[in-house]
Amino acid sequence: MYDKFKGLKASVLAGALAVGAMQPATAEEGLDFQTVSDLLHLVMSSDRTVYTRMIVNRLAVEEKVITASEHFEDDKALVLPAQMFRFGSEMVAEETDAFSYSLLSLWPINKQNAPSTPLEIEGLEYLAENPGENFYGEEELGGEKYFTAFYPDISVAEACSKCHNEHKDSPRTDFKGGDVMGGVVIRIPMDS
Amino acid sequence: MKRLNTKLFWAVWALLSIAGALYAAKTLYVTGDRTVLLPGETTGVHHQFEISCHTCHTSDDFEDVNSVRKDINKTCVTCHKDELKASNDSHPIKKFKNPRMADFWEKIDGRFCTSCHAEHSPEATLHAGVTLQGDFCVACHSEGDQDVRQNRESHAELTFDTCASSGCHNYHDNRALYEDFLVKHGNMPWVKEEPVHLPAALSRTPSEAVADIETYLATVDTALPAYDETIAHDWAASAHAAGDVGCAGCHAPEATNEAEIETQWVEAPSEAVCADCHRNEAKTFALGRHGMRRHPEIADPRDAKRSLKDLGFSDPPEAMVRLIEAYLADPDAPQAMSTSEARVSLKPEAHGQDLTCSTCHDPHAQDLDFAAVDACLSCHNDEHSTSYKDSTHFALWFDEKDGLLPPGSGVTCATCHMPQSEKGGKVLTNHNQNDTLRPNEKMIRATCLSCHSLEFAIDALADPELVKNNFSGQPNRHIESIDWALRRVEPTDTDANQ
Repeated sequence: MYDKFKGLKASVLAGALAVGAMQPATAEEGLDFQTVSDLLHLVMSSDRTVYTRMIVNRLAVEEKVITASEHFEDDKALVLPAQMFRFGSEMVAEETDAFSYSLLSLWPINKQNAPSTPLEIEGLEYLAENPGENFYGEEELGGEKYFTAFYPDISVAEACSKCHNEHKDSPRTDFKGGDVMGGVVIRIPMDS
Repeated sequence: MKRLNTKLFWAVWALLSIAGALYAAKTLYVTGDRTVLLPGETTGVHHQFEISCHTCHTSDDFEDVNSVRKDINKTCVTCHKDELKASNDSHPIKKFKNPRMADFWEKIDGRFCTSCHAEHSPEATLHAGVTLQGDFCVACHSEGDQDVRQNRESHAELTFDTCASSGCHNYHDNRALYEDFLVKHGNMPWVKEEPVHLPAALSRTPSEAVADIETYLATVDTALPAYDETIAHDWAASAHAAGDVGCAGCHAPEATNEAEIETQWVEAPSEAVCADCHRNEAKTFALGRHGMRRHPEIADPRDAKRSLKDLGFSDPPEAMVRLIEAYLADPDAPQAMSTSEARVSLKPEAHGQDLTCSTCHDPHAQDLDFAAVDACLSCHNDEHSTSYKDSTHFALWFDEKDGLLPPGSGVTCATCHMPQSEKGGKVLTNHNQNDTLRPNEKMIRATCLSCHSLEFAIDALADPELVKNNFSGQPNRHIESIDWALRRVEPTDTDANQ
């Protein structure tokens, strides 16, 4: 499992560096939006994968010593990986307007996480149809222009697909390991 | 002559106008009583500190609207932070800050508290300080993926004026109302076999009685300036005696020997002495209606010299500052809430009292039975309060005191309005008596579920007549939320056939 994780991390890192190499940025210019976004995503996806595999999947699915639950306080359980990601994003929202991120899906358990802007629909559909690829675009929201990046969110452990397939509010119940389940969406305002 | 009169009139009018404008500007920007400038009565408990405008209005003068709204968010959260955190807020501001919510900002801007709680608009204010129409959920939950009528079959025919008014949903606090919680607590008898509020049981279990009061008294210092037999007896049977807090503990807390006790003796110790040990009680007391006036975040009166400096007068003349402070200063904010200012129904004889710790707690006797029932009923005169002694809850309390029922069986005013909780073996009593009231579903987890089923609690709290008569009888309405939630997870044969 750890070897597999190393492999994934290395490939994401290599991808990010390759992007950086293709679009060189000097200190004077600062980093371009795509590079910043890719690097942010690298941190997010690494943390997310570590939590999912090394905490939730190990303890709740493999060793079965604790459960993970949407109502983690009432159930004295682990926070679900998607909740952990969202809590992080909300904490960032409290600290800064310099960027924001979300975890969205065309098949969300919580309808709040369905795409809500035209670009979100386009981006998530692109991720689902082109596994392994990212999607980048620009959009105007609330009078401000944003650089918006979409990264596939993949079922990295049995816990992901199992929970989504069994949840009563899940619109899709045939996820398998390695499937694109949704996308991480990062937005950076372009004018500030 | 006529022309002269006209000129004189204009001159006087101009002078008076300038003087009036200067006075208003001074009151607004320097110091002075601003009551007359209040744009409208404030909501609920806010009236207790409404003369301290800058408790809420912290923005610099002439800031832009968005900055002002953000600053007001901060001041709301100063006092309501713990409540929102504990409520597991369903619509926190941080959720709405994401730009993908921009379309929703146009409908109801969830980034700002004031979008729903406008304040100073008594004519537009509904329950819980909401200044939107009662069907406000329609703004965001009636279209596309968010359309609840599409997402929940049971909701297909519902109208939006009943979402938040029928015991089913709240904007912030849904701890006892979320779907899985309804399922988990479905199909239960309306009252438990052994109904007991556990933290209350813990606190009401009698401690080891002091066997011989006289002997006990002989062991403590008696060289006191105000020794009194009755007080000493009351004290000897109190928790203070059991906790080794003697007379000097409160009357001369800093004294280290008898001589110092004599010199430092304070006849009537202030609340600060109580708060020194009873921190949780003092903190929660200051969050509720009874003790809010001593909340640490209520702004002090403005300092004239500082206000002048903020306006750009780097070195205001001392005489001017002294003149303003002497005649035109901010009035001192009252330190305690008085029953005369209360906006709820109180008994005529209760008027004119300042609310302090000792209003409910005799400092020597510490009669918790009095504090839990009679202290409340000595002031409160609404139908719910006056019906209490005819209720089953009171009968249970009566039987508990009679030794017929185990500790924690009786339900006092405090059981529901000042719910106790257990933390590390210690029982904490929430002295914010409003904490579980608005909306009243907040009471379900803290109190009702100790003895009752969720279904009964939801129905009972949604029946205003039953609330009025202090829960004498059964609810005459049924909220179907649990039935619907159960049906989604356990479809009946009929549902399956459909």
